[in-house]
Amino acid sequence: MVLVLAIGDLNIPHRAPDLPPKFKSMLVPGKIQHIICTGNLCIKEVHDYFKTLCPDLHITRGEYDEDSRYPENKTLTIGQFKLGICHGHQVIPWGDLDSLAMVQRQLDVDILVTGHTHQFKAYKHEGGVVINPGSATGAYSSFTYDVNPSFVLMDIDGLRVVVYVYELIDGEVKVDKIDFKKTATAPSAH
Amino acid sequence: MSKEIVKEEAPSSSSGVVPAESRPFGSLRGVQWRINLGILPPSSSIDDLRRVTADFRRRYAGLRRQLLVDPHVPKDGATNSLDLVMDNPLSQNPDSTWSQYFRNAELEKMVNQDLSRLYPEHESYFHTPGCQGMLRRILLLWCLRHPDCGYRQGMHELLAPLLYVLHVDVERLLEVRKLYEDLFIDKFDGFSFEENGVAYNFDFKKFADSVEDEIESQGNSKQVMSLYELDPELQAVVLLSDAYGAEGELGIVLSEKFMEHDAYCMFDALMIGAHGSVAMADFFASSPAAESQSGVPPVIEASAALYHLLSIVDSSLHSHLVELGVEPQYFALRWLRVLFGREFSLQDLLVVWDKIFSEDNSPLDEVSDDCEHFSFKLLSSRRGTLIAAMAVSMILYLRSSLLATETATSCLQRLLNFPESINLKKLIAKVESLQTLALVSNISSLPSTFVGAYNCSKSPINAHNVSSDLVCPKTTLNLVPDSYWEEKWRVLHKAEEQRQNSSEKKTSSGKKKWSERVKFRLSRTESEPLPAIREKCKLEHTLSVRRSLLEDLSKQLGLEEDVETGGCFEVSNSVDHHPAEVHGDGQNCANKGSICTVEDRCDDGSGAVVSEENSSIFSEPPSPPSSVINDHDHDHENDTEKSSVASNLSADDNYVHQRSIPEDLPQPVSLPPEDVYLNSLHENGSSGKMVSATKEQRQLSGKFQWLHKFRGSIVSEETSDKRGGISEAANSPNHDSKRNTVDSFTAGASSNSHPTNKGDAMDQNMMDTLKHLGQAMLDHIQVVESVFQQDQGQGGSLDNLSKNIGKGQVTAITALKELRKISNLLSEM
Repeated sequence: MVLVLAIGDLNIPHRAPDLPPKFKSMLVPGKIQHIICTGNLCIKEVHDYFKTLCPDLHITRGEYDEDSRYPENKTLTIGQFKLGICHGHQVIPWGDLDSLAMVQRQLDVDILVTGHTHQFKAYKHEGGVVINPGSATGAYSSFTYDVNPSFVLMDIDGLRVVVYVYELIDGEVKVDKIDFKKTATAPSAH
Repeated sequence: MSKEIVKEEAPSSSSGVVPAESRPFGSLRGVQWRINLGILPPSSSIDDLRRVTADFRRRYAGLRRQLLVDPHVPKDGATNSLDLVMDNPLSQNPDSTWSQYFRNAELEKMVNQDLSRLYPEHESYFHTPGCQGMLRRILLLWCLRHPDCGYRQGMHELLAPLLYVLHVDVERLLEVRKLYEDLFIDKFDGFSFEENGVAYNFDFKKFADSVEDEIESQGNSKQVMSLYELDPELQAVVLLSDAYGAEGELGIVLSEKFMEHDAYCMFDALMIGAHGSVAMADFFASSPAAESQSGVPPVIEASAALYHLLSIVDSSLHSHLVELGVEPQYFALRWLRVLFGREFSLQDLLVVWDKIFSEDNSPLDEVSDDCEHFSFKLLSSRRGTLIAAMAVSMILYLRSSLLATETATSCLQRLLNFPESINLKKLIAKVESLQTLALVSNISSLPSTFVGAYNCSKSPINAHNVSSDLVCPKTTLNLVPDSYWEEKWRVLHKAEEQRQNSSEKKTSSGKKKWSERVKFRLSRTESEPLPAIREKCKLEHTLSVRRSLLEDLSKQLGLEEDVETGGCFEVSNSVDHHPAEVHGDGQNCANKGSICTVEDRCDDGSGAVVSEENSSIFSEPPSPPSSVINDHDHDHENDTEKSSVASNLSADDNYVHQRSIPEDLPQPVSLPPEDVYLNSLHENGSSGKMVSATKEQRQLSGKFQWLHKFRGSIVSEETSDKRGGISEAANSPNHDSKRNTVDSFTAGASSNSHPTNKGDAMDQNMMDTLKHLGQAMLDHIQVVESVFQQDQGQGGSLDNLSKNIGKGQVTAITALKELRKISNLLSEM
């Protein structure tokens, strides 16, 4: 039972000063095994903060990240699932499902985590899952100011992943849960 | 059909290791222990056993379902009606299933740490994932069920042997199954079906032939053993595993499937103690129990109980350990918490636990007229006393090596590394005798504090007699000739008389003479009519006083004998002298202990002088006795037996002496009653120490007198190294008689006893007596010189010459005699 935090687009300090306090109180070290960060942190302090939550941190580069050493894409395997990370500003049109599906096929992953739109989305698409955790700080995006802070926690357990979505709506934390089951992988043909 | 196997109750413990015949499940430890721990009913039929087993197993399964939380599995079949805000993984809510899950995960991490280190030498069984999983679950569930205890290191070691014995039982079952396959054939309703599957073995055609066949097959079937022809043990094994008995499969008492459940029950019973007085969970608690009188955690109290028992049995070893500063809980913590699991190999441990579990755990009720209560919870049940006795016998096993060590760390090393190959039977036999002693000793008449105080036992004499009966049925009490002790007493008595005489001469100060105090106590016991307990306490107290006298006697013995003499004294007649030297050794050690307490009590300066002096004296004597004891290392038991015999002897002799002494008491002196009362709190050996500690300072002055006594009785006088050049003398009016020098000593001592502090007085005493001795020597020398000068001066008249020579010679000779005496005195100091 692996808990994976998917978070991103904080835009600290340019567009937001900090995480909402209610989110901060929930994020305590010791419970989460991996953190997947889509990008746009932007500064090192945020990076360090995430490191305190969990030492296993995977970040891809967003367009405003100050550390230029983050990769554009990243893939990792957790349990039975292959996960892919990409910020999403490279994928045009931004947030388009088919284009994101292309990236998923390219990276050959079961779960693709992207960001940039500052809106939470979770699609089941062609045997895979595309997840957008939104913006954890509620920072304004390129096309709208009306952004609810949100992030995603994935509970990977065998062939099943449970996605918990935490959103801050009107000052209250709302939680939602989505179940995804992976179909058994077909053996590759020779 | 119900099959009855009648089980006898396990016999009470006074006969050796529990004999196999009385335990019908003797070879099936799992079942036997379950009976002993109170899980299974001790009597009655197999069916009952099965029912009870099934009950427990159901309970465990329910517990498991309830407490082992899997947040993925929706509770009670309800689907997504959970309140997600409450019940998400990041929820801070302590009630959510996720929080519980995380808590359990933490507990599990702790348990895992311990489990990975469990029994590495038996890892073929204990480190298999199945076994580890079972252990983990059991421990987790127990700790969740008892959140106040939590998980402590060591619980896994208590659990592991329990699981092991169940495993062994199951293996036995498999063995039996292999051997007697026929008995395990599935007998539907009592019939066995032939292999060809035909229900009715009737062939119409070959009727005539089939009759013969039937007869044959019947003959064949007769070769198969019937159940009742097996010996009871195997019968038990078969019946316990029958799948068709009461409760079906759940009731199979020896079942591999339900090993976890059974182990949990056993563990629970062991930890909780089932309303008995020994609950292992207490030993893991770090705070004092609610109803304890002392404010210490139960394990500390139990360790003190151990030392209490040890002090009764072998006060010399006890005082040695106390003096070194070896607190009992340093080693007893591990012993008690894991019930000796770390000290013995697994097979030995099973034997030990057999013994422990065969004892009943219910609190013993001792009815007494004064509503006494138990001072030590550990000792208030048979099982507890057995545990205490076990620990004490282990300590005694290491007796010789412990007495030989001089530092606390090496003592602890020996105690914590109990030797691997031991004679377990011997150890256990010893345990039983100690247990009876422990049972008697646990009665207190006063509330106790644990720092250095011991509870007065109601009948220490009886205890000693009891122990002597049990401990040494073979050895007679006449190891030491009676004359030995009487001689000692006579000598002692003379010293007292002398002191009395001298005390009449001197002006007594406010300080009480030691002898007077002794007399006082004796007179008090004789004169005052006291209630039963008090009297016995006093009696015991006077015995302690007598014992302290004897201690001092032997101390003198130890003093007089240097290494060489010590050697020849001891080597000569081994058997006879064992108890003497052991006793002497014991006394010396006891005195060492008392000296230490003196150190505590005196002021720094004076105390240092006193103790330094005494320790220098005492450093020699223990070595020859201990070296001799080491020679007889193989015979620990005898040593300890003899020491207890010796202590019995002294107790008996004290008893004897006490009757005769009171006739000689002229002066009862008043002592503050608290003193006596305080002393009545103490045990034999220790009170002797305590009492002697308070009068230790006075004792040293008495020592001088005794030295004179012993000069006559000791065969070889040695002049070993002295405090060179220290002049010691007492100013004496007349130097001619021994007595007078004695008087002078006491006079000097007493005249210097006026200063305020006892310690200072002691110091003063020493210095002054030394000075006086020096003076006396000088005087003698001057006399001799003057005599010779006279001789020289008076060259003239023959008459005068002869007279003067005669006179001079006489005076010279006497002076020389005095000189010699003084020098001998010095040498003996």
